[in-house]
Amino acid sequence: MSHPQRRERIVSEAEAASWVTDGMTIAIGEPAPMAVIRQLVRRGVKDLTVVGSGIALDLLIAAGCVRKTIAYYVGGGAGGAVAPSFRRAAEAGEIEVWECEEGIVAAGLRAAAQGLPFLPWRGGLGTSLPDVNPDLKLMTDPIRGETLIAVPAIGVDVAFLHAAHADAYGNVQHVGGPGWLDLFLYRASDRCAVQVEKILPNEDIRANPGATTIAGVDGVIRAPWGAHPFYSRGYSVQDRAFTRLYVDAATTAAQHGDRGPLDAFLRTYCIEPETHADYLERVGVKQLIALHEY
Amino acid sequence: MADDTADETATDDILSQPVTRQEVMAAFLANDIRDGEILQVGAAMPVGEVAVRLAHFSHGPNMELIFIGSRMNVAHLDTLPTPEFGWDRRTVRWAESYWDTGHRFDRVKDWGNRVFFIGGVQVDPHGNTNLIGVGDDHRRLRFRGPGSVGTSTLSTLVGRYYIVLNSHSARTFVPRCDFVSAFGWGEGHPDARRRLGLPGGGPRYCVTPLCVMDFTEDTKRLRLRSLHPGVSVDEVVANTGFELVIPPGEVPTTPVPDPEQLRILRTRADERGALRR
Repeated sequence: MSHPQRRERIVSEAEAASWVTDGMTIAIGEPAPMAVIRQLVRRGVKDLTVVGSGIALDLLIAAGCVRKTIAYYVGGGAGGAVAPSFRRAAEAGEIEVWECEEGIVAAGLRAAAQGLPFLPWRGGLGTSLPDVNPDLKLMTDPIRGETLIAVPAIGVDVAFLHAAHADAYGNVQHVGGPGWLDLFLYRASDRCAVQVEKILPNEDIRANPGATTIAGVDGVIRAPWGAHPFYSRGYSVQDRAFTRLYVDAATTAAQHGDRGPLDAFLRTYCIEPETHADYLERVGVKQLIALHEY
Repeated sequence: MADDTADETATDDILSQPVTRQEVMAAFLANDIRDGEILQVGAAMPVGEVAVRLAHFSHGPNMELIFIGSRMNVAHLDTLPTPEFGWDRRTVRWAESYWDTGHRFDRVKDWGNRVFFIGGVQVDPHGNTNLIGVGDDHRRLRFRGPGSVGTSTLSTLVGRYYIVLNSHSARTFVPRCDFVSAFGWGEGHPDARRRLGLPGGGPRYCVTPLCVMDFTEDTKRLRLRSLHPGVSVDEVVANTGFELVIPPGEVPTTPVPDPEQLRILRTRADERGALRR
């Protein structure tokens, strides 16, 4: 019997990255979808607004892809308290920092997900956040008359996530739970692609539908070790030595104005490797296997 | 048997090392945590992490621990192995449930029973804290901080929190924060939080490597409560960039852990010795 075939949603990391054009708002989840991020660097995308955090966001800033950050925490990872490229670019006024906080970002993403212009939030009252971020408006709640913060919808053009498993039809099953904001990022996005450690047969997803955390993402990217050098829950731990390579190079650029090591890093690990597989070959099997979680 | 003897010798060695100031901080905080409370600990807060584990293993079998996206109770374990580094997600193996942002922020009804730790680039006399940065112009900060993390919301809602700093200096303790990311007591009115409609109880203590501070009742101003062993009032005053309230009489010494607490601290709560470095 012939019948129409269900469409598979498997895309390459390069194809998913090609969904992004200059000036878009993208979101990067946690663990970081590094296979796609490296492709964005490789393509030299510009003027992005990035909802994200940490060293993955810092790398995009270092590569000149970012105009504006929506980030509640850009810590230094293996290095100092603040990620080096973020710190330098923010202090120099080269990027716009949409000052925010975790609860506020969640409220804005939820508003976008629900098609609302804003949602109110209490956290941040009395702080400087509404002063330094004019998009956050103090409002009077029409029900009880309280003062609250109106957080505008944070719409995301494309969200990129990394998870353990999905089938070819975009049913995602995390191991160890979804990252901090991942479900919010997916729901707030127009399009969403998820890198996975392993693509499962649809039968395996059906065997345990309760484990499906996101149903129906637009793209599934086959990317084992795709969060390297960061951890991937259930699969690998962070590669601290490699993270250190980046942080040291970015710190040299930020604090001493010498971009040599940073440009070399970006060239070697983001620009020259055409595919995620090429990148993994550069990192090396020994180093990758040593990161297997146990 | 030989192995047991070797272990005992190693433990004796560990227990004979002098108590560090970070351990004094953790023990103080642990003694203030009550059984049944829900503790959330963020990144880069080793003193808070150890304090929570210490309370859990010594007197808090009904505490709930929220570590890096996992909620757990591990009172039945000998230790909850300390993560090797801040975002070592392997602690997830002890999770009874996963706690992403939705889990943490979509139900705040029990937050009155929740306790949190907050750090800061700057802290002012009324316990307002700043993780945004230092400078006059937000678009061109002299020092860009890491960002507010979840502290604006947590400080608004949790039953109480502790301000915990890894250093005590006049650069951190400033008369006025350049920016405030977590509201403590505002301008220092005891009613400041109620007026803003903030349900949480606010900062209870500020704990540093030098001392413990609380807040005066009438002006909600930081007041020296106890000095860690070997620290003088002058040292604290010299490293605080505003006038700290010094109570009359002799300032008490922050208690050091007794032998049993030290044993739990070093062999179960901080087996990697994060606070002894």
